[in-house]
Amino acid sequence: MRAGLLAGRIGAVLLTALAVGAVAGPWLLSTDGRERLAAPYAPPSADRWLGADDLGRDLFAQLVIGARGSLGIALLVALAATTIAALVGGLAGLAPPWAAGIVMRVVDLVLALPFLPLLILAAAFLGPTLGVRAAVVAALVWAGPARLIRAGVLAAWSRGHLQAARAMGASAWYLLLRHASPVVAPLLVPVFVRAAMTAIVLDASLAFLGLGDPTSPSWGTMIHWASVRGAMLTDAWLWWALPPGLAIVLTVTALALVGVATEDRLNPTLRQAR
Amino acid sequence: MSVASSPVRSRTGLVRAVLGRAGGYLAVFAVALTITFLLPRALPGGPLRTLGGADVADLDPAVRAQVAAAYGLDQPLPVQFWRYLRDLARLDLGESFNGGRPVAEAIADALPWTLLLVGTSVLLTAAIGVALGVIAGLRRGRGKGNLLLAGVLLLDAAPAFWVGMLAILFFGVHLGALPTFGATTVGHTGLAAVGDVATHLVLPVGVLVVAGIGQFFLVTRFSVASALHAPHVEHAHARGIPHRRVVARHLLRPALLPVHTQLMIELGWLVGGALVVETVFAYPGLGRLTFDAIQGRDYPTMQATFLTLVVTVLVMNALADLTYPLLDPRTRTRGAA
Repeated sequence: MRAGLLAGRIGAVLLTALAVGAVAGPWLLSTDGRERLAAPYAPPSADRWLGADDLGRDLFAQLVIGARGSLGIALLVALAATTIAALVGGLAGLAPPWAAGIVMRVVDLVLALPFLPLLILAAAFLGPTLGVRAAVVAALVWAGPARLIRAGVLAAWSRGHLQAARAMGASAWYLLLRHASPVVAPLLVPVFVRAAMTAIVLDASLAFLGLGDPTSPSWGTMIHWASVRGAMLTDAWLWWALPPGLAIVLTVTALALVGVATEDRLNPTLRQAR
Repeated sequence: MSVASSPVRSRTGLVRAVLGRAGGYLAVFAVALTITFLLPRALPGGPLRTLGGADVADLDPAVRAQVAAAYGLDQPLPVQFWRYLRDLARLDLGESFNGGRPVAEAIADALPWTLLLVGTSVLLTAAIGVALGVIAGLRRGRGKGNLLLAGVLLLDAAPAFWVGMLAILFFGVHLGALPTFGATTVGHTGLAAVGDVATHLVLPVGVLVVAGIGQFFLVTRFSVASALHAPHVEHAHARGIPHRRVVARHLLRPALLPVHTQLMIELGWLVGGALVVETVFAYPGLGRLTFDAIQGRDYPTMQATFLTLVVTVLVMNALADLTYPLLDPRTRTRGAA
């Protein structure tokens, strides 16, 4: 099996496992991660696989439930950002040059804004609910992909068969749906994956800075509390701060594997070279 | 694609490009100004509460009106905006709510540290990312290249703050080898002070590099792998030019152009991203100043740091723009080349 394909499959399997765990996991747990069941900072045992936090709450349960928060925001942001990027990039690719110029200047503008400070600002003032965080992250990450998609549309437009169809009087909508979309649609996969990766890391950073939603646990908030409650000063970091961080690494790596595999497959010059 | 065919055309092209770029920068700057102006006026609590401090809300109406007048908030918005711009032009950024220190002073203290931190990290990140990317690109689809790819993807997936926490634990607490807090230790002079600043830089820069090389690596790898069988490269091989020379002179130079573009796209991220690392290592830079200001609802400082961050990104962008013709001769015009 080719390496790219293998990487993509490993990534897909990991992602599926994580998603299933996030959806089904919380039902299989005997605790919701908020009950005080053990001694503070209790080390891992047969009952509590990852021990307990400073309040004696089960950390494994928090990790499983936190997957919902972290994967949830990744999915929301990726969907929103990909949609915005596809609409903006697609329209800019079809629009007359002056209109496209204006749109692309807006894209440049968003790219020049300091992302993280803006995000922190929004989270601090609009409240840290899932919807707000997802909306703000999506509002910041669509710009780069929009540029990519516009380039894809422009490239598709100049292809021979498309020009031929156009010369035969096909309408713009027909050209878009029948001929341009098969070329552009595969571009959306890496865009989606990249937005999901960015969302997970940004959201975790936000939570680490203490701006996460205290009512819905995520991997980021776990690391935040581990850091704030002194887990790094004792052995507790091993079962408190390490697992959620590794969970983030695993998820983002899985996404990256899928992204790299699709990007490699999409590039015709690479395929030819093989 | 044909390059500018006549000197006249290329000169007007250059002027247009420069004007267009400058216009773009001005537009971003104007939007940033507007955002920072509107920010305290649009947020919950209104400008009086946010500009005058929390307790203003509890004052009786007459006193409140006085405070509003003192801040010029009784004026119509355009007048307020004009005054804001006027103060800004005089570099009068107001005073911090937190201790009453002039904000301009706080920024002047913090900016050099961020420039040092981000500048060092960007150079190292680009150098290491590109070097690894070239290696992996040339060996794409083979064992070593794949191993390198997997390794970088893993590193890239780790959030900066988490890597920072672990770095503090191992290098600071367990090994006790490196300082984990701040940018300097009191009491060093001369060369010892330089060494002191450098040792304080090691961990934050290391974390930023680890967090940042992924993008440069991926773009380089992709670009190099795509160019491996480009016609001009095949032709160079066919002419019997040694492999190393083909790679160095024919393949890498055009293949590295997207990396430069990537650098420009990443700048906003890198400057903003330093915020997390500055917070983890209590590094006295702009990011931490911003974060503390947001946490403390210190609006004058917040406005000023936000604006400074935007300007920093714009200046770095402009630098990247200006250096591009050095890399790509096609964008040079005859007069300028």
